[in-house]
Amino acid sequence: MKERILAAYDPFVLPFVFGITFVIGYCLLALFKVLVQLSPADRRKFALSLITPSAILKNLRDLFCDCLLHVKLWKRNKVLGYMHSSIAFGWFMIIVIGHIETVLYIPERLHKLYYPIFFRFFMEEQKQTLQGSFFFFLMDFFLLIILSGITLAIIKRFRSRIVGMRRTTKLTLTDLIGLYSLWAIFPLRWIAEGFTAGVAGGSFMTIPINWILHNFMSKPENITVAWWAYSLALGTFMTVLPFTRYMHIPAEILLIPMRNAGLPVRHTRKGFTLAMLYSCPSCGVCIDACPMGVQKKNVQDATVYMVRNLKRRNQQRSLEIAEKCLMCGKCASLCQVQMDACGIRLAYRTAQEKKNNRLPADFSYLNAIAPQQVGEEKVLYYAGCMSSLTPVISRSVQQVLQAAGVPFELMDRDGSICCGRPLLLAGRRDEAQQLIEKNRQLIEKSGAQILLVSCAICYRIFKEQYELIGVEVVHYTEYFNRLIAAGRLSLKNSHETLVYHDPCDLGRGCGIYDAPRQALAAVGQLVPALKEREESVCCGGSVGSLTLRYEDREPITRGSIENLTANNPEQIVTACPLCLKTFGRFAPVPVRDFAEMLVLNLETNKNDTK
Amino acid sequence: MSENVVVIGGGPAGIEASRRLRDLGYTPILIEKEPVLGGHLARWDRLFPDGVEAHTVLDPMLQDLDGIKYFTDTTISSINRLKDTWVVKLSNGLSAQVRAILLSTGFDLFKAEKKEEYGYGIYERVITNAELEDWFKAGAAPQFDGVHTIGFVHCVGSRDEKAGNRQCSKVCCVTAVKQACEFKEKYPEVTVYCFYMDLRMFGRKFEDLYLKAQKEHGVRFVRGRVSEVSEDIDGHLFVKAEDTLFGKPLKIKMDMLVLMCGMAPADGTSELARMVSIPVGEDGFLVPASIVGAPCVAPRDGIFFAGTSTGPKTIPETLGEASAAALAIDRYLKTPARR
Amino acid sequence: MIDFGYGLTPSATLRIENVQNPLFEELHRREPDVVKCISCGSCTASCSAGCFTEMSLRRVILSLQRGREKEILPMLQHCMLCGKCQLVCPRGINTRHLILSIGKVYGLADQKEEVRP
Repeated sequence: MKERILAAYDPFVLPFVFGITFVIGYCLLALFKVLVQLSPADRRKFALSLITPSAILKNLRDLFCDCLLHVKLWKRNKVLGYMHSSIAFGWFMIIVIGHIETVLYIPERLHKLYYPIFFRFFMEEQKQTLQGSFFFFLMDFFLLIILSGITLAIIKRFRSRIVGMRRTTKLTLTDLIGLYSLWAIFPLRWIAEGFTAGVAGGSFMTIPINWILHNFMSKPENITVAWWAYSLALGTFMTVLPFTRYMHIPAEILLIPMRNAGLPVRHTRKGFTLAMLYSCPSCGVCIDACPMGVQKKNVQDATVYMVRNLKRRNQQRSLEIAEKCLMCGKCASLCQVQMDACGIRLAYRTAQEKKNNRLPADFSYLNAIAPQQVGEEKVLYYAGCMSSLTPVISRSVQQVLQAAGVPFELMDRDGSICCGRPLLLAGRRDEAQQLIEKNRQLIEKSGAQILLVSCAICYRIFKEQYELIGVEVVHYTEYFNRLIAAGRLSLKNSHETLVYHDPCDLGRGCGIYDAPRQALAAVGQLVPALKEREESVCCGGSVGSLTLRYEDREPITRGSIENLTANNPEQIVTACPLCLKTFGRFAPVPVRDFAEMLVLNLETNKNDTK
Repeated sequence: MSENVVVIGGGPAGIEASRRLRDLGYTPILIEKEPVLGGHLARWDRLFPDGVEAHTVLDPMLQDLDGIKYFTDTTISSINRLKDTWVVKLSNGLSAQVRAILLSTGFDLFKAEKKEEYGYGIYERVITNAELEDWFKAGAAPQFDGVHTIGFVHCVGSRDEKAGNRQCSKVCCVTAVKQACEFKEKYPEVTVYCFYMDLRMFGRKFEDLYLKAQKEHGVRFVRGRVSEVSEDIDGHLFVKAEDTLFGKPLKIKMDMLVLMCGMAPADGTSELARMVSIPVGEDGFLVPASIVGAPCVAPRDGIFFAGTSTGPKTIPETLGEASAAALAIDRYLKTPARR
Repeated sequence: MIDFGYGLTPSATLRIENVQNPLFEELHRREPDVVKCISCGSCTASCSAGCFTEMSLRRVILSLQRGREKEILPMLQHCMLCGKCQLVCPRGINTRHLILSIGKVYGLADQKEEVRP
């Protein structure tokens, strides 16, 4: 007993030492790889953010909240939040306390990597360490917390519905090895520390174990066996870690500052994207989130499986997944590591088109289109391509503008130039840029100061890519809400129950959730959908998906309608021509456009749209 | 006392089958959810191919209802199987226990507002085939001034996956041509267009009607499906289609547009099918035991079909099928139970 | 047999019986919807690019089926992929994916396709 304390070494530490060395080495290499793959400009940007005080503060806060406390997960699901933060924070605290103890009592042993981890094995409870009973208590306390988290994790693995998950990820073999070794670490630690608690001291968790063990098998050989098992579990976990989903633990430490630096996704698996791929914890939240999940065959197309295929360089499957996605962004908005799922897919599509499209675009015919002179007193209204198939929208928008006395001009009366977003989503970035350029010229030269847009798809690209100078782009939900607030529209409340559907590009895409709801509250009684706002379910009509067939979109639409009609609204209201058209096919209640809803309830109009 | 048979749906199929059943010695109980018998036929003005007035077909049928118990404004509350009989409960509180039920539930006109790009319900000058028939029947001129050009849009809600109806509605092509001719007879100076995908002139004298439309009335046929309709400030319509035979897109200014709404499965049909546990096809119509060999017989004992409940049909086809269904019921009721 | 020169010249006839079309087969494999077209012309009529150019998806599909792609590939270069044709198509053809696939299977430039991005 004495010798182990004096020697401060025992062969059982070797698995752990191997594991920790391996994992640190691997992570350093991966870090190097990610940094090298960044474009020079991005690298500069990242480096700069690391020395900016405000960014440092934000990074630290995010690291603490996301990696250790899992604040985002807590907000979403308390059980899952507790499960993750108990293990992460508990483990972190155990490591920290181990080091504190070493620093306090045997600072000369601190250089040994394994010493703080196996502190209890190499320590004897003496006068000097007796003062540490406070630390003993803390250690046992956090061990208890971790064990409770592990228990939840085991329950979750076999009964995921208990923690509110319908589907959970199918794990790979290495993931399973990682998982089981992780589960094993803490019970083994409990037993191992229990063995030595008689000598090294312990608290409410370890002392009872020590008492039990002491009475049944007090042979000293068993002590080493228990510590061997504990070290082996640790070593196994750390050795397989880089090849499992647990890689997200170290990777997130890199991802958070990179994301905070505002780096864009530029490649399908290099640089920033690689950091993201490493950071995917395979939690499977994206599986339940995906609107395509209504059909079982689409489960394999969830973001978690895209990440897995990208990591394995399975190009064929990655491409299929990238092209099938609706790009609704729901998985990304729920993702714990804020995986830019749409960005990676878009990068894939763009790379694919660049390589393989042999039919270069020719938009020279657009040169003949001359800008309209509108004048700054008028609002320029861009209805968009889709709206010519939903005349109710452009007509209602014009009626509302007339009712409010707003002078306006239509930008695309005789055929429109597409906004470019469908091209962008198809991966034809340069081609989209040509349309953006042309539209920008037409808009800026028109002299108008306000560009009114009634299509959520157009609105998003106008906001994100156009950089219009001297022109405010405004979605009709915002603009009409302003008109209502300014008292320029007199509306009556029909007291009908309405449910509002957040179009993907408007809600998650541009963050507009409140304006339409405020305006609709003036004309009817809003009832909530089952899932709404950030979690709204795509209508299924999205131009984002390239390969999804018409017959496979129907179940998505029906699923979305089911979500909307959970509280039996009398009408469904949306603010996107594509949603309107898609829902209209299958909805059991009338589907109205946002502007149409206002027109129906205009005081002066007496319910007459004809 | 003669045996009762329940006939659900009082359109041409239901009335005709009831008369035939009565002639065979049964007492038909005819149930109609609308206030009057006659179905869509009662609304129609004239019939293709030779333009006979619809009432000349329907009136003799309606004057010959002796021996038929009929209930209008009545729906079915429930149907239950009891040994080898069906117990039918009606919304008026009555019930009947019969061995045979005939489902002649007919069709619904496709709801034109579902094809939003055509602007029905949004643009005043877009009407449906049924509304035009109302006008003809009332003898009233179109309520719009200065109608110089009108268009008929074929296949509205037919052959259209997006509208949820893949099937051809069979009668709209010839109805459009009939209505185009009628319109030209009333207003010879108006230019009339028909926008079609395929002209399905399958019946006797249909082709003659087509020829008449070309020769006598100069109706302009454009092979192209209308894709969208817009409106100017004066309420004129701009119709976009491709002249697919010429290979160029068209944009024509119109003063009026008539949508040839097709036949969709009637609203309550699937509910009735559920009550008697028979299948509904992917298209929403009822499924006979054999679409070729036994079109009037359901794959369930004592359930029979007639008319458009099993898919789009013309009036003569419907009447013929009604007679056939009556005979099939008669044979079924006279065959001793096998069990 | 003496050719008096009164026969139909090869360029004036459409020799569909001889169409050997591995490219079309490949297109069909990628986008099976290509055979579903009933030539209604809705796509052409509603086409955003069709307001300004000759673009006609109906003609594109028909020409491909007849093995006459050279005539129609240039018009596809005008496509803005806005998706209106997909919305109006009564057969529910995935027109955007069809157009993207044509660009990869046929294409103007002499270039080999790779799956790797």
